[in-house]
Amino acid sequence: MMAVRAVLRAVLIDLSGTLHIEDTIVPGAVAALARLRSAPVKIKFVTNTTKESVSTLHQRLQKLGFDIGVGEIFSSLTAARNVVIEGALRPMLLLQEDAMRDFEGISIDSPNSVVVGLSPDNFNYATLNSAFRLVLDGAKLIAIHKARYFKRLDGLALGPGPFVEALEYASGTKASVVGKPEKTFFLEALRSLGCSPQDAVMIGDDARDDVHGAMAAGLQGILVKTGKYRHGDEDRIQPGATAVCRDFPEAVEHILSKML
Amino acid sequence: MRRCVTHKLIIKLIMTSRGDDWSSNLQGVLLDISGVLYDSGEGDGTPIAGSIDAVKRLKSSGLKVRFCTNESQCTRQYLVDKLRRLGFDINLNEVFSPAPAACQLVRERKLHPYLLVHPDAVPDFSEFDLELTPDCVVIGDAAVSFTYERLNAAFRVLIGQENPVLISMGKGRYYKETDGLMMDVGCFMAALEYAAGCKAEVVGKPAKGFFLGAVKDMGIQPQHAVMIGDDLVNDIGGAQSCGIKGVQVRTGKFRPSDESHPTVKPDGFVDNLAQAVDFLLKDHAQ
Ligand SMILES: [Mg+2]
Ligand SMILES: [Mg+2]
Repeated sequence: MMAVRAVLRAVLIDLSGTLHIEDTIVPGAVAALARLRSAPVKIKFVTNTTKESVSTLHQRLQKLGFDIGVGEIFSSLTAARNVVIEGALRPMLLLQEDAMRDFEGISIDSPNSVVVGLSPDNFNYATLNSAFRLVLDGAKLIAIHKARYFKRLDGLALGPGPFVEALEYASGTKASVVGKPEKTFFLEALRSLGCSPQDAVMIGDDARDDVHGAMAAGLQGILVKTGKYRHGDEDRIQPGATAVCRDFPEAVEHILSKML
Repeated sequence: MRRCVTHKLIIKLIMTSRGDDWSSNLQGVLLDISGVLYDSGEGDGTPIAGSIDAVKRLKSSGLKVRFCTNESQCTRQYLVDKLRRLGFDINLNEVFSPAPAACQLVRERKLHPYLLVHPDAVPDFSEFDLELTPDCVVIGDAAVSFTYERLNAAFRVLIGQENPVLISMGKGRYYKETDGLMMDVGCFMAALEYAAGCKAEVVGKPAKGFFLGAVKDMGIQPQHAVMIGDDLVNDIGGAQSCGIKGVQVRTGKFRPSDESHPTVKPDGFVDNLAQAVDFLLKDHAQ
């Protein structure tokens, strides 16, 4: 069943793996972004990070040569900050120092919520125990995301997920997860553009978190075969991606020629 | 308010409604330690009011007594010494703790353990050569030794195995120390299960074999035994799952919400061990 699409009004773009891979630009991505900007669409850059503040991400992208405004970046930390502000919450922040910058100006006195990102410095018994006591007493538990592990130079290392799980187990509650692939993440990003999901498309290299997540929220989804993409990823999601493109420039070409 | 007036009747009421007067057929008592005898904390911790005397009275009543604990922060011997210093009448051979069961599993399968346990508990594992490359993880209540790097080391052992073996000494959510509630081993067991995509094997409470081993040691049948504990799910639920009665104390980690738990219904609630012993001995003497 093909729904009749309204005019495409917004494009959400993943960062790592889609525009760049570490310190290398995806070939043609800077020019492709400039082309997309000349089309009548709003753009937001959306990313799951628990370590880096928006301003750090912004600096990196500028250094790589991308013409991106700091206000155009919507990260899982931004989403968490929004949840905190909307609930008038005072969070205990289990975050690394740089990520803390996204919470500047927010009161953390006598906390009534716990925000968990990847924060090895805070993943110790004493700090976790303080967080546990808060949550058991009714504080809201907010997870930036629940990744199991990640790759470190010396091998695999535990992500924030296991520690969120530990706090959930201890307190008998469920965390609200704010990053991709949560539906609310995409809706929040679009809300800041004043667009609804049926008017938007998401471009990303993660079939599950970017494409499937966005499509479950009502957006269209374009999978790019760069970054973490592995052969056959497009077959691992149901429904399939709106389009599968070689890279970001091809995705922009697809949008300009077929979706406007 | 109503609870205060009626709680003395609760054991009786439950027994009558089930038509089985279990407390007068009682032959043995299993006692949890932390949260029932004492609360751990600074120094040796603090005995719970009336508990030292309650253990004495139980022992002199002719009822058999064993201690079933998931304590894994120290060796069994250290625990017994500590409780004796606090004034409890307790002997090493009366104490059932999860470490021997964990050792047995590792030994039987000829595995080499990575010990994610409290440094004071390591001597309980002296039979294993810890220099060998580990191929399984034994997790206990490591408390401050639950560091990111140690959890990570345990995770890497697990993720490197085709069939990860994670042996958990208990799976409690939290316990009470004198200055508040503390995360228990179950939380970190759950963290490793999630990270490595495996399921832990739990030794100690609430594993059936653990309770049945203690009952067998008393030479009695499960239906003639009662477990008294502060952990509704692991003490009471665990005991009941093998036919042992379970009485919940309102000390230690007890929280009022335990009285309306959706699945675990104790055979009785009491304010503390002393009150449990009052009831049991009254009925036992009849
Ligand atoms: Mg990506
Ligand atoms: Mg206990």
